[in-house]
Amino acid sequence: MDAGELPLAYTGGETTGFQSPASDYIEQGIDLSDVLDLDKPGVYLVRASGQALAARGIFEGDVLVADTAAPPRAGGVAIAFVDGECVLATLAYREGAWHLLSADGGRAPRPLGEGAAIWAMAAALVRTEV
Amino acid sequence: MPAFALVDANNFYCSCERAFDPALQGLPVIVLSNNDGCVISRSEEAKELGVAMGAPWFQIEQGPDAASIRQFSSNYALYGDMSRRILEVLRRWSWKVEPYSIDEMFLDLSGFGGDLVARGHAIRRDVLRETKIPTCVGIGPSKTIAKLANHLAKQRPEYAGVCDLTDPEARAVVYPSLPVGEIWGVAGATGRRLARMGIQTVDQLAALDMRQARDAFTVIGQRLVMELRGTSCLPLNMLAPQRKGVAVTRSFSHAVTDWREMSEAVATYATRATEKLRRHGLVAAGMTVFMRTNRYNGDPSYRGQVSYEIEPTQDCLILIGEALRGARSLWRPSYRYFKAGVMLHDLSPVGRMPASMFPTRDPRASARIMTALDAVNARFGRDTLRPAVTGIAREWATKAEYRSPRYTTRIDEIMKAVAI
Ligand SMILES: [Mg+2]
Repeated sequence: MDAGELPLAYTGGETTGFQSPASDYIEQGIDLSDVLDLDKPGVYLVRASGQALAARGIFEGDVLVADTAAPPRAGGVAIAFVDGECVLATLAYREGAWHLLSADGGRAPRPLGEGAAIWAMAAALVRTEV
Repeated sequence: MPAFALVDANNFYCSCERAFDPALQGLPVIVLSNNDGCVISRSEEAKELGVAMGAPWFQIEQGPDAASIRQFSSNYALYGDMSRRILEVLRRWSWKVEPYSIDEMFLDLSGFGGDLVARGHAIRRDVLRETKIPTCVGIGPSKTIAKLANHLAKQRPEYAGVCDLTDPEARAVVYPSLPVGEIWGVAGATGRRLARMGIQTVDQLAALDMRQARDAFTVIGQRLVMELRGTSCLPLNMLAPQRKGVAVTRSFSHAVTDWREMSEAVATYATRATEKLRRHGLVAAGMTVFMRTNRYNGDPSYRGQVSYEIEPTQDCLILIGEALRGARSLWRPSYRYFKAGVMLHDLSPVGRMPASMFPTRDPRASARIMTALDAVNARFGRDTLRPAVTGIAREWATKAEYRSPRYTTRIDEIMKAVAI
């Protein structure tokens, strides 16, 4: 090895003695950034807090993959700003208007509009501790 | 006919802050320069309050509007990433996009045909939806016209954010109302010279005889007149110019009088500069180090600068040593230092430069350590792992008291949403 050179990346095909039978079949490892579309310009990461959406499988500390390009979807989870507060709420379409629902019924359904707007839709979820 | 669009973000830094905190909408917002020195971006509301560009923060802080103003230290990690996102959105509209500045992008829309104004509105809508950043779009057959159109789109509400000056008749209507100072590249001196020639407005300049333009302003003036008349002379520039050098210079949070603080700062700047080298796969053959006092506050004046050849390497430990060597030669006790910097020049791609015959450190070990250093810092955030000579407390470091979270580049600073 030349001075200053780092070992070559080995992907399962670059053998030195016997040719690897896999060399024509090497594929890239799975890149979660690709799977989750993290490179899209409208995708952001948002940390969930609180347990109100635990029944939907969203727990305190989870990282949501938020897509600002995604259209609102009934039953989807929205990252929204309500009176300046950033909330995570289920979206519903009722009587001709989108509403943010509170899962534990602690708050009345909030129609979008004055003081309430969707910031992004949750597209996926990452939990680093299981 | 070529068609260019200039997409320019409105009050970009303020808009980045608002993107992650919509409650700032409608409030006077300002963003401060490094060290929270002076205003570098203002929301419309702040402009209406009379906050001037460049106004010192300490004055505003003591002024009558301090309570209503929301101030932020500059958060360049965030602004840079938001700029990248804007460019990515624009690439869906044209693969030819030139990032002219952090908040201005030229698009080549030639050959698309159709309704360019509608296209401009669609572009604005996409950028706003995905980055939350409001923009204005100027369209024209040359970059100079697109830039003028953008200015109109910003200044005149009747355009609703998109101004198209493709049509010569549309230009004929607006040119007489535009002072030449609004033209891209017509700075103070050129403007004054034009004024002496009796040229005040854009229509007068566009009508200037080509020969006269050339005589008065060289080929650049001639090109400008051509561009204003709708003949494109400035192509889209999609390749960033080759880096000529890497500079890391900062002013300190307080006057530095202690060699320990100075050496920490210089070591830190050398570390930063070397990070940039590695990111671009470059090595440097030369280094410049400078330190100076503040020439405006009455402190005794000292400006020291030294340039020298260095070992071409990407190893920050070696370059820290090189930088401290220069700094030590400049250091004069008893001065109150205000700013210092490390510049790397004579850059070349790594491997293109003959390796040093007597390297300070084993190059293989050095490359491994730097790879590990970069990997740790990429994963856990900048400066997680750093040479101890760069200091622990770093009292000298640039003040950024009001910086918002780096929402898009640090996993521990991302937005939080409360489940309801
Ligand atoms: Mg701008």
